[in-house]
Amino acid sequence: MMSTTASHGRVMMLPSPSRALQNQQPLIGSDMFRLKQTEPRGSRLVVAATAKYKGTKMREEKLSEMIVEKVKEATEVCEADVRSEGCKVAWDEVEEVSQARADLRIKLKLLNQDPLESFCQENPETDECRIYED
Amino acid sequence: MAVSTIYSTQALNSTHFLTSSPSSSTSKQVFFYRRHQSQTNRRFNTIITCAAQQTVVIGLAADSGCGKSTFMRRLTSVFGGAAEPPKGGNPDSNTLISDMTTVICLDDYHSLDRTGRKEKGVTALDPRANDFDLMYEQVKALKSGIAVEKPIYNHVTGLLDAPELIQPPKILVIEGLHPMFDERVRDLLDFSIYLDISNEVKFAWKIQRDMAERGHSLESIKASIEARKPDFDAFIDPQKQYADAVIEVLPTQLIPDDNEGKVLRVRLIMKEGVKYFSPVYLFDEGSTISWIPCGRKLTCSYPGIKFNYEPDTYFDHEVSVLEMDGQFDRLDELIYVESHLSNLSTKFYGEVTQQMLKHADFPGSNNGTGLFQTIVGLKIRDLYEQLIANKATAPAEVAKA
Repeated sequence: MMSTTASHGRVMMLPSPSRALQNQQPLIGSDMFRLKQTEPRGSRLVVAATAKYKGTKMREEKLSEMIVEKVKEATEVCEADVRSEGCKVAWDEVEEVSQARADLRIKLKLLNQDPLESFCQENPETDECRIYED
Repeated sequence: MAVSTIYSTQALNSTHFLTSSPSSSTSKQVFFYRRHQSQTNRRFNTIITCAAQQTVVIGLAADSGCGKSTFMRRLTSVFGGAAEPPKGGNPDSNTLISDMTTVICLDDYHSLDRTGRKEKGVTALDPRANDFDLMYEQVKALKSGIAVEKPIYNHVTGLLDAPELIQPPKILVIEGLHPMFDERVRDLLDFSIYLDISNEVKFAWKIQRDMAERGHSLESIKASIEARKPDFDAFIDPQKQYADAVIEVLPTQLIPDDNEGKVLRVRLIMKEGVKYFSPVYLFDEGSTISWIPCGRKLTCSYPGIKFNYEPDTYFDHEVSVLEMDGQFDRLDELIYVESHLSNLSTKFYGEVTQQMLKHADFPGSNNGTGLFQTIVGLKIRDLYEQLIANKATAPAEVAKA
C-alpha cells in the first residue's frame, strides 16, 4: 500500500478489494472503470481521501464515540420498555449519528478532499484548521 | 411611492414583512423582520432584494440523510457543475450549491434540536419535531425569487446553528424526510420524487454502512431500524402517494434466496398526466413489455438484466412502471439498453450512458438506482426548460392584451 501526499489532503492508494463504499453495490465493471480513470498497470486502485484538518479528524472521532455511547444508551433504555418513547428516540439518535458518520466518510470520498478545505482556506488560524498529523 | 402592507401572524416562528406594491421595477426591497422570541434564541433579521425570476422547486423524500445523496449529485450534474457546500460559511452546513441548483436539507427545519426531541419524546421523523410554517414560508419566498436566512441543523452537535443566507436559485431542491408532508409545501413543488427502499434492502445497506463502526453490531442495526419503523410508516411512507415519481428499490428476483442485497430490482413508478413530465417507456407506450436484452446481440454476465414495462394504478393514480432487475457490467450493455428506451429527454444519443459513466464511482452506477436517478434528472431538466419557456411567452401575451 503506497501513500502519497497530494496538494489537497493526503491520498491513500488502496488495492481494490478493500473498497470503502458504504452503500449499495460494488463498482461498475472493469471496462467502464478503465474508461473513467487512468490506472497504474496491474491492480485496479481506489483513491480514498483521509482527514487533513484537525477539525475533520475530531468530528470523525466524536461521531464514532457517540455511536458507541448511544447504542449502549438505547440498549439500556429499551431493556426497560421496548415500546416506550424513550426507546424509539434513543434508536433514532443512533441512526442520526450513524448517518452523520457515514456522511462524513462519503464526503471525504466524493469530494476527494477534506470537507473543511474551503472553510480552512478562509480561517487557517483556527484550531480546527490545524493540519492533522498521524 | 410604495404602499406598504404589514402582515403579522401569531405563529411561534412568524415573520413580519413589509412589501412594496407591485411596480414595474424589477428590483424590490423587501424587509424581513422576525419578532424576537424569548423562548428561543433564534433571531432572523434580514434585508432581501427580490428579482423577477421564478424558481423551479423539486422535492425529494428519502430516509437517507441529506447532502451525501448521490441522487442529488447526479441531478446537479445533469445541469452541469458540481454541487458543493457554501464556501466559507458554517462547515457543518447541509446545503449544496451549484450553478443552477441549490439543495436544501429539510433537517434544517427541525423545530426541536436533539435535546429538545429527547425531552419531548419525539423522533426526527415526527412532524412535531419540524417547523412546517417556516419551511413553507421560506420555500415560498425562494420560489418567488426572495433570498432567505435559513437555519442550520448541525448533525454533529445536534444543535440548531446560526442561519445561512440562501439566494434564490434557478432550481431549488428540498431533500429530506418531509418534503411532501405539509400540503402548502406540496403545492409549491413543481415535481416530487419519493425514494422507496424496501425493508430488506434497507437492512442490507445499513449493515454495509455501519458494520465498520465499533459501536454497531447486527443487533443494534436491526434494533434501530425496527424502533424507527412505526414513526416511519406513520409519517414518512404516506408521502409516496403524492410523488410524481417513485423509485422503488427491492431485492432481486434473478437470484433465488439472495440476501446480500447487492443485486437490485428497481422500479420507476411514473405518474401519468403530470404537466411537463412524459414518462419513459419501452418499445410501445401504454403496453406491457417484458424484455431481457441479453441474448445473441448482447452477452451479459450473471445474473443478467431483465426489464419490465407496464401501465398500472398506484394509490388511485394512473402510472407507468419501468422496472430493471440486475446489473450492468459493461459499457455496451448500458448503451444497448439506452438505445431501446424511449422518451428519455436526452439531448443526444448516449447522454444517459455518458452521465452514468461520469459517476461510475457512485453507488448504484451499475444498476437501476443509478439509471433511474439519471433518467429522473434528465426529466427534471426537461421540465425546467419547458417551464421556463412557458413563463417566457406568458409576459409577452400580457403585454399584447
